[in-house]
Amino acid sequence: MRGEPAMAALDDRALRGLVESDRVHRDFYTSPAVFELEMERIFGRAWLIVGHASQVPEPGDFVTATLCRHPVIMSRHADGEVHLMFNRCAHRGAQVCTEPRGNARRFECPYHGWVYETDGRHAGAPYPKRYASGFLKGGEFDLAKVPRMAVYRGFVFGCLSADGPGLDEFLGPMKSHIDAMVDRAPDGEVEACAGTFRYRFGANWKIQMENQNDLYHPMFTHASTTARDGTQFRRHGAEDDEAGRVRLLKENEALNEQWEELAIGGHRYGHTYMERFPMDRGQSGPVHERYRAAMEASYGERAAEAMAVKHHNSIFYPQWSIQYLTQHIRVMNPVSVDCTENVIIPLKLKGAPEEMWRAALRSNNNSHSPSGMVMSDDMEVWIRCQRGLASPGREWVVFARGMNEERIDNAGSFEGRGTSEANARHQHAAWLDYMCGEA
Amino acid sequence: MRAEIERFLYLEARLLDERRFEEWMNLFAEDGWYWVPAAPDQKDPYDGVSIFFDDRRIMKTRLERLDHPRIHSQKPASRTMHALSNIEIDEEHGEEGEVLVRSNLTMFEFRLDKQTVYGGRCRHSLRIRDGGGFEIAWKRVDLVNCDGVFETLSVPF
Ligand code: FES
Ligand SMILES: [Fe+2]
Repeated sequence: MRGEPAMAALDDRALRGLVESDRVHRDFYTSPAVFELEMERIFGRAWLIVGHASQVPEPGDFVTATLCRHPVIMSRHADGEVHLMFNRCAHRGAQVCTEPRGNARRFECPYHGWVYETDGRHAGAPYPKRYASGFLKGGEFDLAKVPRMAVYRGFVFGCLSADGPGLDEFLGPMKSHIDAMVDRAPDGEVEACAGTFRYRFGANWKIQMENQNDLYHPMFTHASTTARDGTQFRRHGAEDDEAGRVRLLKENEALNEQWEELAIGGHRYGHTYMERFPMDRGQSGPVHERYRAAMEASYGERAAEAMAVKHHNSIFYPQWSIQYLTQHIRVMNPVSVDCTENVIIPLKLKGAPEEMWRAALRSNNNSHSPSGMVMSDDMEVWIRCQRGLASPGREWVVFARGMNEERIDNAGSFEGRGTSEANARHQHAAWLDYMCGEA
Repeated sequence: MRAEIERFLYLEARLLDERRFEEWMNLFAEDGWYWVPAAPDQKDPYDGVSIFFDDRRIMKTRLERLDHPRIHSQKPASRTMHALSNIEIDEEHGEEGEVLVRSNLTMFEFRLDKQTVYGGRCRHSLRIRDGGGFEIAWKRVDLVNCDGVFETLSVPF
């Protein structure tokens, strides 16, 4: 830890001193000691997403992933259940599995050949006679399970803490945001079958968190993706689809004030969301008609409601989000105080016309691949924030936009509007709860 | 033929390094496409996501953006060096009226005090133009780290 004299002094008072109602101290983003505490108190307690059960459809299928810097394995065992365990041999600690994905009858440790079933049960050690009799029995040498695991609509979550709120309580009203994504599939299921993008950028994880619902930035950060008529390139792919063009500006380059009308808001535990862009209107055409027909066949009268895209994105604090327009989830894993790694997992709406999926794939390629026209400018500004915040002389970062305009209820939810920075303030309040012991 | 193909591919590399993106794009046929898969051995661009999968329209959007005065991720702009080697003409697999050319690509990119090296295998399907010369029917680059962790990419391979 590069000379962190404040380390010993990071008591509640010091932590509270980093966050005020309309500003946060730059140490919030730059202090390695704060980061280490966050890993323990936020990432160590919150429910974190690992992936989607459709990544491991068959018995023996597995993927390796990262859960708050810890290597884990998500696998499907012969009994059809999904398991989540640490990727660490019970003998002397070697990772038992290094492939990003695959199918295994058993996991075999490369070091001394200990073997594990795909549910993590210890299945034997070579030449066991030199161990005292009975030593290897009794499940003590299984792969350690992530303390808690839960699945909601196919999304697999792990929690590093054995106690605390269950997934249901943790998600709260945000469950409806997951439903809104999954219910758009005529079969009522989504599938992660398109691989992933992974990228890394040199900025603190919270800078990305604060950015995703920031309606104040698109017209500036993303100026280079805006055409002369104020619209962004077709986010829905390459098809002739005017509806997929997002209007960032009016034709005279002035702010499109429709942005100020968008609903934003959040719920308990720091989760936030924003409404879908009004300029991203519903689709039409023959493919859409086939989609509608498939939805009506499945949902009857509820079809129109289930088809509607309600939000642009929804952020599940502290670690993942759903992007509805591009149809993916974004998993955001902190690596160090000034480095974050993203995994983008596109989701196929099962039962929807193949053309829609193709458009979604292309949309992901164009906006959210490492070469993505949207992501690359976002990452650039996040990195610049991290670098800028290394400077002394001005200690505070300002989040005062739209201050006190939001309507807050007693259950920890709030509603706001437009380019207000209320969503970031809501995240900051959750941060304090986690860090100072109330979450 | 071989000399002509080499000349064409070296020109392509130089246009990218000199940031003459519009001229680069015009090497592609009207129905041409440029593909950089995000997984090894991907068979079809619709099997999964891609790092680049551009038809002429997306290419144009992307390249116009590279010239935009407010493209923050290219301030300062990347300097690149594309080097091609191991050029092989695949007599067996070309499509009608096209020559399939395999090559190995090394690209150095320098931006903001950092140099990054990329390596990949390229396939160009070159369509022989009526009046002589080539246009790119499709170009595919299989990066050795295609499913790895990336930082921002802006300049095509
Ligand atoms: S460390 Fe795994 S068998 Fe020894
Ligand atoms: Fe953005």
